[in-house]
Amino acid sequence: MVEVDNSLLGKEFLEMAFDRCIKCSTCKYGYKNFEKICPSGEKFLFESYWASGRIRIIRGVLSGDLEWSDDLKDPIFACTTCGACMDSCQAPHADYIVDMIEALRELAVRHIGPADKQEFLVSRCEENCNPYGKENSDNEELKKIYNLPDKAEWVYFIGCTSNYRQQSLRDATLRFLKKTGIDFTLIDEHCCTSPMIRTGQVSIVKEYMQYNIDQIQKAGAKKVITSCAGCYRTLIKDFEKFGEHYDFEVFHSLELVKQLLDEGKLKFKSSYNKTVTYHDPCHLGRHMGIYELPREIYKQIPGLHLVEMKRNRNFAWCCGAGGGVKIGYPEWSVEISRDRLAEAKETGASIVTSTCPFCKTNLSDANEKFDFEFQILDLMEILDQLDIEILN
Amino acid sequence: MTETKQRNIYEKVSKEEVEETLIAIFGSESVTKKAVDLYPYSYDMTECEAHMPDFIVLPENVDQLVKLVNFCNTNALPIVPYISGNNVGGLTIPENGGIIVDFGKKMNMILHVNENMMYALLEPGVTFGQLQKHLEENYPHLRYSYPFAPPYAGVVGNAILSGMNNMSCKLGSMGDSINGLEVITADGTIARIGSCFYGEDKSDKDSWWSRYPMPDLMGLFINWQGMTGLVTKCAVQLWPNPPIKKTYLAVVFGLTDIAAVMREVGRTEVVDDISAVSIEVIKMTVELPEPIKKEGEPDFAALFPISAKTENQMRAKKEILDLTINKLKDQGIKVILADVDEFSKLFNLRVRCYLDLPAALLSLVEYSGLTWFGSYAPTHKIEELIPKVNALFLKYKLPPFIYMKIMKYSHYGIFRPIIRYKKFQEDEKVHKLLTEITEVCIKEGCIPYKTPVWMTEKMRKHINPGWLKLFEKVKKCMDPNNIFNPGRWNT
Repeated sequence: MVEVDNSLLGKEFLEMAFDRCIKCSTCKYGYKNFEKICPSGEKFLFESYWASGRIRIIRGVLSGDLEWSDDLKDPIFACTTCGACMDSCQAPHADYIVDMIEALRELAVRHIGPADKQEFLVSRCEENCNPYGKENSDNEELKKIYNLPDKAEWVYFIGCTSNYRQQSLRDATLRFLKKTGIDFTLIDEHCCTSPMIRTGQVSIVKEYMQYNIDQIQKAGAKKVITSCAGCYRTLIKDFEKFGEHYDFEVFHSLELVKQLLDEGKLKFKSSYNKTVTYHDPCHLGRHMGIYELPREIYKQIPGLHLVEMKRNRNFAWCCGAGGGVKIGYPEWSVEISRDRLAEAKETGASIVTSTCPFCKTNLSDANEKFDFEFQILDLMEILDQLDIEILN
Repeated sequence: MTETKQRNIYEKVSKEEVEETLIAIFGSESVTKKAVDLYPYSYDMTECEAHMPDFIVLPENVDQLVKLVNFCNTNALPIVPYISGNNVGGLTIPENGGIIVDFGKKMNMILHVNENMMYALLEPGVTFGQLQKHLEENYPHLRYSYPFAPPYAGVVGNAILSGMNNMSCKLGSMGDSINGLEVITADGTIARIGSCFYGEDKSDKDSWWSRYPMPDLMGLFINWQGMTGLVTKCAVQLWPNPPIKKTYLAVVFGLTDIAAVMREVGRTEVVDDISAVSIEVIKMTVELPEPIKKEGEPDFAALFPISAKTENQMRAKKEILDLTINKLKDQGIKVILADVDEFSKLFNLRVRCYLDLPAALLSLVEYSGLTWFGSYAPTHKIEELIPKVNALFLKYKLPPFIYMKIMKYSHYGIFRPIIRYKKFQEDEKVHKLLTEITEVCIKEGCIPYKTPVWMTEKMRKHINPGWLKLFEKVKKCMDPNNIFNPGRWNT
């Protein structure tokens, strides 16, 4: 057995690569529906670009069969880590394939560095605490606008993409939260660390996690809500994986919406007479198992006609933004979204909706670049367009 | 890094020139020589020795392949065909390096389905899952047959290597159900074999309906492991898809009595397939990692899928099956017949992966390695084979994993000990066990298929010299420069 460096956070997943995967190819296509599901494999085709190939690369680099060189970068980093392979694979290691890929990336970053441009995800964070390189917002201005206290039961964790790229989603969420009357506030956030973990650049991950936990605790919050699928996955799964524990609960905004609907506290006073198709964000769907909750919400909106794309739920085609692909492989990233929108076109929908600002960003970029003429809206933005009443 | 046996294949042409030519033929995005891309092609799930290819190419049409074959033949460069890569026996491991032709990525079209004469014309990269989906969506009244292999195993590769399927008791080897082939031979000739042979240039898509009655040139390619040419199209037979299907499970006590049960049920001509596994395999399927058979437990379980056009026909078939089982009981064989649907509900739904083919068989995907002695077997020797192989598994402290089939209503059988293992850690031990199994089974008359090179070396010692001489002559004639998958069968 090959010795794996103890200091690697993904050590156990690298070791797993030696004990699992016979390369049966089941990971390549949707299990039993036989649809194409892997953006990376479908683009680059060679075995090294599919999940089983990447597991082999782990074996190669650790055993010394493969020497580190820049040639390894694309097979290692050109993957959205969407996790569709995990849902197809039927072997015992299925749930850990993305963990294995991320562990391989952690190892690769040590030997050959990250993929082109992905280093900015860390360097920009080091300067401004967010991967977009925007001047850090401590969110004090927003607190003033929305009259939010310094301490509250809830913290709305905005996330970098909503705060610096998709402000309409952020503002729609803030307005919704105000309408609910819950006691919430904002904190001076650092990046949730998702982009760093996905790209294997884990040097400041634990520090950032600890910082965000401290900020949430200082705010006295017992509950954290986010409208970002990536932050949600990271706060729940990755914090635990990296040994950072906390005593607050984490919710996605749609969970609050659903709870209010179930309790009869959220009433729609207007209709949304449009045909809508829902794009499952990988970080909410495959990574967290949430598929039906958003659909149950859309179906309760008066007038909204929800239609499904051919590939949906656990075998939904990824938007192409995740895993560092948006920054590392920008042209291909938008091509992946183009394919998703082409599928959406077949449904006859005029609105493509999701519950993730990162999906919204990439789908919007493809919508514009390839002239699809959809409206790309987050659930919170659709709710924001409706006249709603919340009974407290 | 794994090294190939011969590194002097670039005597006639430099590696750089080869790369330039390949890019000219296939385009730069369909050619790679990067070690990281080559590495996943260098080994398979078995303990067979790894060898790195020098290039991978992704063809999209026959013209490209003709150019490739001409170039390789002129320069004596090895060509190794590859489909989905879930091979056994090192079939796609390039023994002498060279160029792997990955058919799975771009030459994977179902070209035509003829409903009338019930066949599908396929490119080499078509997988079982793909074909099943296509038939279900477009021709639900037709079915193909599916092996106990992952959904993304290649149909053509399995057919031309005489794999088996879930209708093998009726049909026998998948190789028997091939209607026609299109092949490229060493001199770049494209030949169509079977009833599709009329027509100078292109075949009529509806002409791929029979293998006979002309001289059977298909035998020059079936079971040759890619050593005589490149298969670029293959027509496989389809069958009516009866609306009523049921599977029965026979549990048999006594280590060797399963043999009689399989033979007798096979001869009833009412079951589509018979596949039997050691009780340990059933336990593996229900998530016991390294199971042990306990005293008093049955030794084997067999599945009998039955299909029928009407309920009456199903009842009649079941009646025949019951009569046969009762007769066996009268002879003192302890066998229990159960409806597998009820069994799986009671026991563990994971068992259903065996019924809903093509599927990932859960007992086969648990480790990083999987190897076997897969063989065609004389059915009268099964009683001798089981205890000998069982003892070998126990000697190596591994749970016995014996998988058997009855083919063509008991004309012959399949005897296949399987070993699941941790690759990189247990290869040596597993290879020793497999070597012992091979020696025992060959002695009893078993004939391995999808055979690794080390195993053909052992077989050669038992094969009559005339056969070997003829075999070598044919190979030499078909592939004078030894470019097609060189090294297979020790060529």
